[in-house]
Amino acid sequence: MLQLKSLDASIGIIPILRGVDISLQAAETVALIGRNGAGKTTVLRTIMGFTKVTRGEILFEGAPVTALHPPKRPALGIGYAPEDRRLFSAFTVEENILLPAQAAGLDKGETRRRLERAYHILPELKAMTDRPGGAVSGGQGKMVALARALMLGTKLIMLDEPFQGLAPALAQRYAEALRTLRDTDRSVTLIITESNPALLRGFADRTLVIERGEVAAGTLDAERTPA
Amino acid sequence: MNVTIFLLALFDGVSYAALVFIVALGLTLIFGVMRILNVAHGSLYAIGAYATVSLTGFALSMGAAPILAFPLMLISAVLVGLLIGGPIEVLLLRRIYNKPEVLQLLVTFAVFMILEDVQRLVWGTQPYFQSAVLQSLGNITVLGVTYTVYQLILLPLVAVALLLGLRFFLRHTLNGKLILATTEDREAAQSIGIDADRVFLLTFIVGAILAGLGGALASPTTSILPGMGADMIVLSFAVVATAGLGQIEGAALTALMIGLGRSFAIYFWPEIAVLVPYLIMVLVLLVRPEGLFGSPAARKI
Repeated sequence: MLQLKSLDASIGIIPILRGVDISLQAAETVALIGRNGAGKTTVLRTIMGFTKVTRGEILFEGAPVTALHPPKRPALGIGYAPEDRRLFSAFTVEENILLPAQAAGLDKGETRRRLERAYHILPELKAMTDRPGGAVSGGQGKMVALARALMLGTKLIMLDEPFQGLAPALAQRYAEALRTLRDTDRSVTLIITESNPALLRGFADRTLVIERGEVAAGTLDAERTPA
Repeated sequence: MNVTIFLLALFDGVSYAALVFIVALGLTLIFGVMRILNVAHGSLYAIGAYATVSLTGFALSMGAAPILAFPLMLISAVLVGLLIGGPIEVLLLRRIYNKPEVLQLLVTFAVFMILEDVQRLVWGTQPYFQSAVLQSLGNITVLGVTYTVYQLILLPLVAVALLLGLRFFLRHTLNGKLILATTEDREAAQSIGIDADRVFLLTFIVGAILAGLGGALASPTTSILPGMGADMIVLSFAVVATAGLGQIEGAALTALMIGLGRSFAIYFWPEIAVLVPYLIMVLVLLVRPEGLFGSPAARKI
């Protein structure tokens, strides 16, 4: 459902990704593993349209989106939770979650339905709907960012290092929420970046490894078995 | 202190502050959202005034009632925002958001210079005066001081209504929310589907309409002549900088401070009257470089 074909991308004038080939099937969960600075975030930001693609192309459900205006991409069904949460502090938690649906012009019923889905997956957010987006803890912020990504992410959800900096209990909760998401929505494709492959073991269908801007498939399998 | 003179200074100050605030509101909105200090804002103010005078003059010559000037003011302001503000954003500013501030300042200054000459080209250099609407609302007498209803009541009311309206727009309408989100984090906003380009265009047009409206409302109270845009941009910048760039509510208070300071100086120490706004600005910025209401980092609007 998503294909990156021999993609080169740069930020400013600095080339980051080199010849990236990734093909995601519908409904699969893919872990994108790599060290800090390897280019994980750049892959996701490139899919969202925030870098300059200098070669290759991106296909979403068969249609080229390489040159699609970035703000038009979420409406295709793509939800993205950036690494550093990036909630809007001027709004409450619930306003943050609702904003993507409002920006996309979804009608009230559909917005309600999607909000219920987000709360079903992350029930703890119901207790903090009126808190300012700037006043939640880092871990809670990650949950809000996930909920926000769920609002438009009906086909593809991209989570950038969701476990980074989460306390063990919260990381457990987050993983549980992801399982609930998997159980309630079998068709959505998930791509999760992580620097620690152990965290996604047993959850991802497939592992891609990125190293200095180049992607290789599943080469971490050897490391996978012991720990 | 003579009560009459005190009241006159007070009324002058309030009505002047209202005008400056309306212009400053647009300047600070644009800066808060787009981080661009739009020097051409002064030209939009002047063109708003010229357009109003021309339209009103034409309507009056056709036998229209003076009260018709009010809708014409609004039309002039909207035309300035759409026909001049819109193209400035799309054709020029859009290319320079990621460029150094010095360049941005130079570009808007260049637009200001161009528009100053465009005004001379279109309207010439002779002053225009069109105050029919000023008399149409009549006068009001307070403790023996007679003042026009237009300046003492209408202008402050419009200023307060615009302040409240803009607050409401930003906090409670979808477009306002999109503006606030884009202001805080442009990329995060785009990644949830907010078209930041459209938001910037909308913001700039709203800001430009406020400049034009300031000029339109000022037109019955003053002579319209070349250079009025330069005066206004400097003064509204003083208001905005004193409040803290991007501080909407703060600009209302500093406009009042500067308006009153200036008018009291005119009556009691005329030699320094022109200096007063800048003295206030310098004194405030010496103590609080981020402005009275600005916080060094935190929120932008």
